[in-house]
Amino acid sequence: MATALASIPEIDRELARLRCKDESGAPFQRTSVMTHIAWVPGEWVEMAEDVLAGLAERHPSRTIVLVPDPEAEDALEANVEVDTFSAGEARQVAVETIRLRLCGSRAEAPASIVQPLLLPDLPVFLRWRGVPPFGESPFEQLVDVVDRLIVDSTEWPGLPEPYARFADLFDRVVVSDIAWARTSRWRPQLASLWPGIGGVKRIKVKGTRAQACLLAGWLRSRLGHDVELEHQEAKRLEGVDVDGEPAPFPPGDPPDPADLLSDELERFSRDRVYEEAVRAA
Amino acid sequence: MTETAQPEQQLENPLLEGLRLQRTPEPCALVIFGASGDLTRRKLFPALYSLALRRLLPEKFGVVGVSRSEESDYEFRDRMKHAVQEFGRDEFREDVWEWLAEGMRYVSTDFADEGGEDRVVTALTELDEKRGTAGNRVYYLAVPPDAISMLAREIGERRSTEGWTRLIVEKPFGRDLASARELNEQIRRSFAEEEIFRIDHYLGKETVQNLLALRFANGIFEPIWNRQFVDHIQITVAETIGIEGRAGFYERAGAIRDVFQNHLLQLVALTAMEPPIDFTADSVRNEKVKVLRALHTPGPRHVVRGQYGRGYVEGQEVPGYREEDGVAPDSMTETYVAAQLYVDNWRWADTPFYIRAGKRLARRETTIAIEFKRAPHPPFEITEDGLRPNVLVCHIQPDEGVSLEFAAKVPGQGMTLRTVHMDFLYGGVFRTGIPEAYERLLLDCFLGDATLFTRADEVEEQWSLVDAIVAGWSRDRPSFPNYAAGTWGPHVADELLRRDGRTWRRH
Repeated sequence: MATALASIPEIDRELARLRCKDESGAPFQRTSVMTHIAWVPGEWVEMAEDVLAGLAERHPSRTIVLVPDPEAEDALEANVEVDTFSAGEARQVAVETIRLRLCGSRAEAPASIVQPLLLPDLPVFLRWRGVPPFGESPFEQLVDVVDRLIVDSTEWPGLPEPYARFADLFDRVVVSDIAWARTSRWRPQLASLWPGIGGVKRIKVKGTRAQACLLAGWLRSRLGHDVELEHQEAKRLEGVDVDGEPAPFPPGDPPDPADLLSDELERFSRDRVYEEAVRAA
Repeated sequence: MTETAQPEQQLENPLLEGLRLQRTPEPCALVIFGASGDLTRRKLFPALYSLALRRLLPEKFGVVGVSRSEESDYEFRDRMKHAVQEFGRDEFREDVWEWLAEGMRYVSTDFADEGGEDRVVTALTELDEKRGTAGNRVYYLAVPPDAISMLAREIGERRSTEGWTRLIVEKPFGRDLASARELNEQIRRSFAEEEIFRIDHYLGKETVQNLLALRFANGIFEPIWNRQFVDHIQITVAETIGIEGRAGFYERAGAIRDVFQNHLLQLVALTAMEPPIDFTADSVRNEKVKVLRALHTPGPRHVVRGQYGRGYVEGQEVPGYREEDGVAPDSMTETYVAAQLYVDNWRWADTPFYIRAGKRLARRETTIAIEFKRAPHPPFEITEDGLRPNVLVCHIQPDEGVSLEFAAKVPGQGMTLRTVHMDFLYGGVFRTGIPEAYERLLLDCFLGDATLFTRADEVEEQWSLVDAIVAGWSRDRPSFPNYAAGTWGPHVADELLRRDGRTWRRH
């Protein structure tokens, strides 16, 4: 169902055409709960597609995937897909994916391309892969048109420094961090150590750098005193020692990336506890 | 099923702030009387498995199945494992099942055998020791109605001295007002009202609860949800299936006791109730019972009963009710009932509620349709189709959702109007899978939340209305069968609405 398109009106026409059943011309029911924008530089495309594949059915939405290619000649190259899935006994609903390659100077003005494609009156989420270029035009433009910015600080090198710039955004846009979500199974375990954990001086975290920084920031901000951090690198959060004593391991399996993003798409309000953890990270 | 940590907890433990904590029940053991029955196999164990998969059951949990059939613990586990694989909504995971199965015991006994009750106590004591169920008990009585009071007494006499005890009672709760009162009285000798959970699985359906969300979480519906704007309401509980081998029960119950007395009247109550002050058990049930009390007892002209004859369902010929196994050839049991009810209160005075339930109807459908008054003076040329009123339809099942019918201009010259639908399809928006009603209700009972269970006074009000209707039936003898299987019921049911200038909704 993919076609190459070069302008917003062409995208709109193609979406309208694809929304009809081939055989009868009757429209599928379009069901959307949000517009989901993903900013995906070339090196992230494959990983982003894997996550999106697991997401469409759970969050019927219009997904706009923006792939910047500033080195190419000026152009807009779009593909549109309408996927249907069953809902109810004899009905199908449609979700839409628009993939846009922003070539040349088009990569400098993404908001002007995205705004005509937003679904009216529905929340807009922006998933930004990699470290956001704080202060640079494409990022700043998109932040101003979305309701929620979702990042995964696990993807950021040089932590905890980037958190300081990130915290400057908190009063402009609601943020989610998938790295923080990955600590959600562990935080109740640590909370269960109260009151003993109240005087903790040092923690050792075996996990990603982001998880370690955020857990330490969380304890510092909640407990109101400094907590020293020792970090041991691992791909997932495997253990937390509190003053040398291992915290109880959480039950169940860690959620997969699509589940984590899916959960973040269900949240709409500011997470003050996270914001304070970032500031103290 | 999460809640944010409460402020008083935060004061003590600053780490709890903002955590999304799951409501997890206290340790407990579930005892199912009627463990060899269809309900246990098709609904209860698939629900328990789904709860276990989502880690919503207590960590310390056990189940004792009790039934007459001779069976070992091993055979019981094996049979329930197959039931979960056949009827469960989730993928089957051996590790989850093993966890559940380790806490399963089976006691074979006749319900009247007092020695059997002692064996149940022994099994429970063993679960307390091995699984840490702490003396907390939920007894699920999935048994014939005549066994309920005796079992309640036996359980009451042997109730654990430690922990709490709750009793889940399946419908039908009595067969008339007198028997329901007697049953309430007998059970209350051993249990307090807050320990009794009368189950009507319709209340556990997500879409039934969504009716409350639709009404009380949106500013636009409630102001027009009254006699000033609503012309009438139609509630339909239609099934395509017949009696599915339940002739013994159905011959005594009929549609009025099987569906009308409970599901249909609960839907009326939820549709007509005033906003509760909060979503706690007593607030919600207080409002429902006010509606049930205000229901105007319809005269015989306002009630229609029917019985299906031979006909076609989904292209297959099916026998008439009187031809079903176990049904008397001259049976006068109704398989269809329709009524015109009024809720005599400020909000609904003179607004008819047309409600109907039946078996072997044309289509499986449970809907609540709110039909609004017509536009007073449409300045358009009216087409042959006419300008139809707006209808808000809550689809309880299937195709769960809400749709609004309204008029739209047909593109082109002139001003031709057509009715169109604006649809919210539950499964289209929320893709997480709708939990089965029994999952929600079992979990609520484990948590001690009775909001979605029926209170004694509700049951009694429901029976009071049914008794008034049934009393008139002894005086006439309709010519049964009076509708063919696979149709929308007897023609005389159309008359209920036609004389008011209305019709049943088109399907």
